[in-house]
Amino acid sequence: MTPTTVEIALIAFVLACAVGAAMLKDVLASVMAFAAYSLGVSIIWLVLQAPDVGLTEAAVGAGIMTILFLLALANTVRPDEDRLFEPVSVRTVVGVGVFVAVMAASVPALPAIGDPTAPVTGGEVTQYYIENAYDQTGVHNAVTAVLAAYRGFDTLGEAVVVFVAGIAALSVLRQEVFA
Amino acid sequence: MSADTEPGLYVESTIIMTTVRVVAPFVLTFALFVMFHGADSPGGGFQGGVIAGSVVMMLAFAYGIGSTRDWVDIRIVAALASGGVLTFATIGLGSIALGGTFLEYTEYTFIIEKASKYGIELVELGIGAIVASVAIGLFFLLAAGFGHVTDEPREGER
Repeated sequence: MTPTTVEIALIAFVLACAVGAAMLKDVLASVMAFAAYSLGVSIIWLVLQAPDVGLTEAAVGAGIMTILFLLALANTVRPDEDRLFEPVSVRTVVGVGVFVAVMAASVPALPAIGDPTAPVTGGEVTQYYIENAYDQTGVHNAVTAVLAAYRGFDTLGEAVVVFVAGIAALSVLRQEVFA
Repeated sequence: MSADTEPGLYVESTIIMTTVRVVAPFVLTFALFVMFHGADSPGGGFQGGVIAGSVVMMLAFAYGIGSTRDWVDIRIVAALASGGVLTFATIGLGSIALGGTFLEYTEYTFIIEKASKYGIELVELGIGAIVASVAIGLFFLLAAGFGHVTDEPREGER
């Protein structure tokens, strides 16, 4: 499958933002590049027809995380820098390059997007969800049906993890936010 | 934006205050839409909760973090987080008490006809309450910074 112009542009944008987030010397600029990266990734999720994931990436990655990073920056010292970019370490470039090469080598093994013969669509569980989710749960979003009904126990665990992590962070830092 | 200007972090701006005052109700409505309508369209408790939490952050940017912290009753935030977990757990365990399995929504059909649909939406609302209140809590926590804790008894142990 050849990528469309939009997809190529999105991937170029995300790559540029990722390199910017890693390389920019100024932390504030780095945070901005990271937010743009998250926004680009969320649009890629939309293009790949995963709007639920895209909405999460946009709200959490580009929204809340940026605000929390900015707040942390506002409470710390941000030295003025003359240089625009971090100096590049050869060892890091080689290490990251090898990692990316290994990951990229696995990409051709993935099934094409929307391939009906992909292993995940042929699975017994997937077929059960596709055939029964709408009738059994009464909702019209199969993602929600799986999250809140079929895999509800997992979702309860996730929600409790968010809750406990929030309480733990506040307790460790001894803030009276959750009085 | 440096540490020595900490009290001056907030800049009062009529434009930002007016915009936030107009936009905030719509953002909150959109958050509830994403939560409730997550059953039929993209979205759900996690996404809607984050958007709802961002309403408080918007208010804090417009009206100052300190005054927003005073305005938001922190007991309500704590009650939302605990209430979300309780809602989810009650619905999940309630169906076991009624003789079904965990989170078997059809056990509740004697209360409401489309028990499955409304049960899922209630669960999403519970998740949204947890996520929104944890996001608000973390926001105020980071905004408070760590410099003002002067009566810290075990500072050296960090």
